[in-house]
Amino acid sequence: MTFRTCVYEKELRQALKDGHWPAGCLPELREHVQACASCSDLVLVTEAFQQARKHSSPEVPQTSNLLWWRAQLQRRRSAAEQVSRPITVAQTFAWAVSVLAALVSAISQYHHGLRWANWWSEVAPLRLFHLAPIVTQNLDWNLFLLIPTIGGLALVGGVVVYLVSEKS
Amino acid sequence: MDREAFAGFYQRSAPGLRAYLVRVSGNSALADDLLQESYLRFLCAKQPEGGEVNYRRYLFRIATNLLRDHWRKPKHGCLEEVPDQFLVAPDVSSQVDLQAALGPAMARMRPRDRQLLWLAHAEGYSHQEISEITGLATTSIRLLLFRARRKMAHLLRKHRAGDRSLV
Repeated sequence: MTFRTCVYEKELRQALKDGHWPAGCLPELREHVQACASCSDLVLVTEAFQQARKHSSPEVPQTSNLLWWRAQLQRRRSAAEQVSRPITVAQTFAWAVSVLAALVSAISQYHHGLRWANWWSEVAPLRLFHLAPIVTQNLDWNLFLLIPTIGGLALVGGVVVYLVSEKS
Repeated sequence: MDREAFAGFYQRSAPGLRAYLVRVSGNSALADDLLQESYLRFLCAKQPEGGEVNYRRYLFRIATNLLRDHWRKPKHGCLEEVPDQFLVAPDVSSQVDLQAALGPAMARMRPRDRQLLWLAHAEGYSHQEISEITGLATTSIRLLLFRARRKMAHLLRKHRAGDRSLV
C-alpha cells in the first residue's frame, strides 16, 4: 500500500470540517475529488462519520450530580491518605528504631553473659545522680544503649501524642 | 470547576464522548461504564488550562486510556498480539444510530483504527490533537489514519454495492 498525500487534502479536510462540502467548494475541487482516490476516500469516510456523530444518541446517563459527589469523596479520601502518610512513615520508623534498639541491647547482653542483675546493680539509683562517673567509666556501653532507647522513646512518644491530640 | 459548571460541561460533552466510546468499544454497557469513570477521573485530576476545548480533549484522552486499559486486561492479552478476528466488535448499529453502512464496517476495523477514524472524522481533531489524546507519534498517526481510511472506504463501498458477505 502506497502512502501519498494529495495537495488538495488540506483544503478538502477543512471544507468537510466546516460543512462547506460540496456546495461551498470550487468546481475544480469537486472535479478533483471525483478523480482522486485518496480524496474520494476522505469525503466518503468523513461524511459517514459526521452523519454517525450527528445521529448518535443524545441521551446520556443523567449522573452529573452523582459523579460530582463521588469525585468530592474520592478527593477527600486521597487528601486524607496524603496527610496521614508521614505519620505512618514516622510510626514505622519509630517501631523500627525500637526493635533495633531492643535487638542491639539483647545482643550486647548476650555477649556480656546475660548479667542483667549485675548490670542493673552497676547502674544503681545512687549512681544515676552522678552520671559523669558512669559515662566516663562505661562510656561505650552506656551510650550504645542509651541513645537509641531515648531516640526510640522520643519518636514513639511524639507519634502517640500527635495521634491522641488529633483524635481529641 | 464547580458543580454547576460541571453539570453544564457534562451536558455538552457527554453525548460526543459516549458516541466515541460506543463506536470504538462496540459495547453500549461498557461505554456507559467508561463514560462515568472518565468523568470521575477528570474531576479528581488537575484540569488543564485553556477552557472547554482543552477539557474536552483531556476527557477524550482519559477515555482513550481507559479503553486501552480495558483491552489490555489479561483476558484479552496485549492489544497488538490479538488476532484480528478476536477484535471484531459486536455490531450494535441498530441500537445506536441510523447509519446502516458504518456499523458493520466499524465492526471489521481494529480498535485502534476505530479510535483514530472517529477522532479524526467525527470529532474533527487534527493529527497533533489525536497524538495528544492517544499518545501515538504524529507521523505514525498520519500513516495509520491513511491506511484505516482506505480500508474503511473500501468496506463502505462494498456495503453500498450490496455485498452481503460483509454482514
